[in-house]
Amino acid sequence: MPLTILLIDTEEERARALEEKLRESGFARVVRAQGPDLAAIVEREHPDLVIIDMALPDRDALEDIRAISSGRPIVMFGGTDDPTFVREAIAAGVCSYNLSGVALADLKPIMTSAIALFQRYRHVETELAAANALLDERRKLERAKAILMKDKRMTEPEAYRWLQKKAMNESRKLSQIVEDFVRAHQDAQREVKP
Amino acid sequence: MSDIVSLEARKSEPRLRIGILRLTDSAPVIAAQEFGYFADEGVDVELITEPSWANIADKLSFGFLDAAVIVPPLAFAIELGLRGISQPLIVPCGISLGGNTVTLERGLAARVRDAAQSLSMAQALAAQIRRREAPLPLGIVHAYSTHNLLLRYWLASGGIDLARAVKFTVVPPARAVEALASGQIAGFCAGAPWGEVAARAAVGTTVATSDDIWRNAPEKAFAVRRRWADDNPDLLKGAIRALLRAAQFCDAPENASYSAALLSRHRYLDTDSHAILASLPGGAVTSQNLSRFWRHAATFPWRSHAGWFLQQMARWNLIDDGQDHAALAARVYRPDIYRSVAGAMGLAVPLADSKAEGGHDKGWMLDAVPRPIAMGPDLFCDGTVFQDEAAPAAQ
Repeated sequence: MPLTILLIDTEEERARALEEKLRESGFARVVRAQGPDLAAIVEREHPDLVIIDMALPDRDALEDIRAISSGRPIVMFGGTDDPTFVREAIAAGVCSYNLSGVALADLKPIMTSAIALFQRYRHVETELAAANALLDERRKLERAKAILMKDKRMTEPEAYRWLQKKAMNESRKLSQIVEDFVRAHQDAQREVKP
Repeated sequence: MSDIVSLEARKSEPRLRIGILRLTDSAPVIAAQEFGYFADEGVDVELITEPSWANIADKLSFGFLDAAVIVPPLAFAIELGLRGISQPLIVPCGISLGGNTVTLERGLAARVRDAAQSLSMAQALAAQIRRREAPLPLGIVHAYSTHNLLLRYWLASGGIDLARAVKFTVVPPARAVEALASGQIAGFCAGAPWGEVAARAAVGTTVATSDDIWRNAPEKAFAVRRRWADDNPDLLKGAIRALLRAAQFCDAPENASYSAALLSRHRYLDTDSHAILASLPGGAVTSQNLSRFWRHAATFPWRSHAGWFLQQMARWNLIDDGQDHAALAARVYRPDIYRSVAGAMGLAVPLADSKAEGGHDKGWMLDAVPRPIAMGPDLFCDGTVFQDEAAPAAQ
């Protein structure tokens, strides 16, 4: 029997990938939804399972048991049966509600796919954030060197050594020294301007 | 080698991960973090802004958070495992009094206000509801919220039959303005600054505040996983000291604009600082809806507050009849911990764990050591006095 899954995710690419995967598996009808009136959508579609991105505020709208499930069970996937599994889901940032009381064994592969996808996206996000931070550090270092070369008439290697020495003397990271130095310079500039 | 040493060091000083929502009454926790009050106490705190109460509840339940600024009914729901796995919690201090608004779409609000000349605002709303065919759709932020309990209490006091005349819908506060504008709901009860945000967007008008329902009503509390508290008694005390310091800062009118600017930052409320300002002590020019963080013993975890929440949860079938309210309140609300921390700081501490709720129509003095505490009025809109029955007599 095909299950109906309500998928609530604003990350377009991830939602599409998950939808495709679930369709391939053949036992799921996927409905995608967003917006403020989720309770009405649940009433209309009667999904067996709701999968939702935990970063959305809409989870609270799914919480009101009587409003959306009219007496039917609504539990977070796994419940107390498999806390490790739920923990994995939370860590990945995805959550699900079993609305029709379908056997856990039938839902597990679906949630496993969702968790894997969310994990992968989270991983990409983390890597992206790390790459951006590194880029930002580099940019600030270039800026700090440029300031030193202009204000103190240093050469580029001299400017770099100056910053490195300062970091060593204060036993702090080079990136922190650079950050403070650039900010102090900007503050000083701002004070001069008005 | 140094890495290994630092890892070990971290193990002996665990982090306190506190979950907050985008609400004005997150102020003391944000101030304690940003001003280094937690750091002064040697408590390494990570503040995590969550998008939903459901996330706060699940992350507490599964140990992704150690503590949270929470609506007390939800703390009881987590303790009892009403929405999934249960997690024992304690409430060693309160966070705020007041701060919620009942905000209606502007047309309805105007009709209710006109009719409220001779009637109470709740009775006037009741009269408007009687003219309708369909139930009035009203938004609350969560079934286990102070908002749900206060709104129901107020509507019932106006003679409204909640089962027939009202349809409650859970709407996250950040979505409430949108839902009001689209007509999905005709009104909502939510914490500050969302009523003010709706007014500024010209879609809603506030017809009642927490104070109109229960003056100086308890609002948010600081809940900690009992296991974390048991494992880290000294850090818990340090965290409470920091919060009591921050509560005094946030309650001082002269600090309002500073706090509003801090809270409006992207990583916290990420919203108009003027809307936040209107709900801070000292920040309001026209608004009557203030959060109180320190005055009137706002941080004391009254067992009688717990008792009232549990009574109301039972009234609306949110908890089973069989629960022993007094035992549950005593297990979760911990004035003993509060007293040991605040007492050592030389702060005034109430002598009793419970008080009669609702008897005062004006300010009064509360028995406390080393000096009495000036309290505010605590009237309910229907004039009831709530007595915490099973509470032991004050010593």
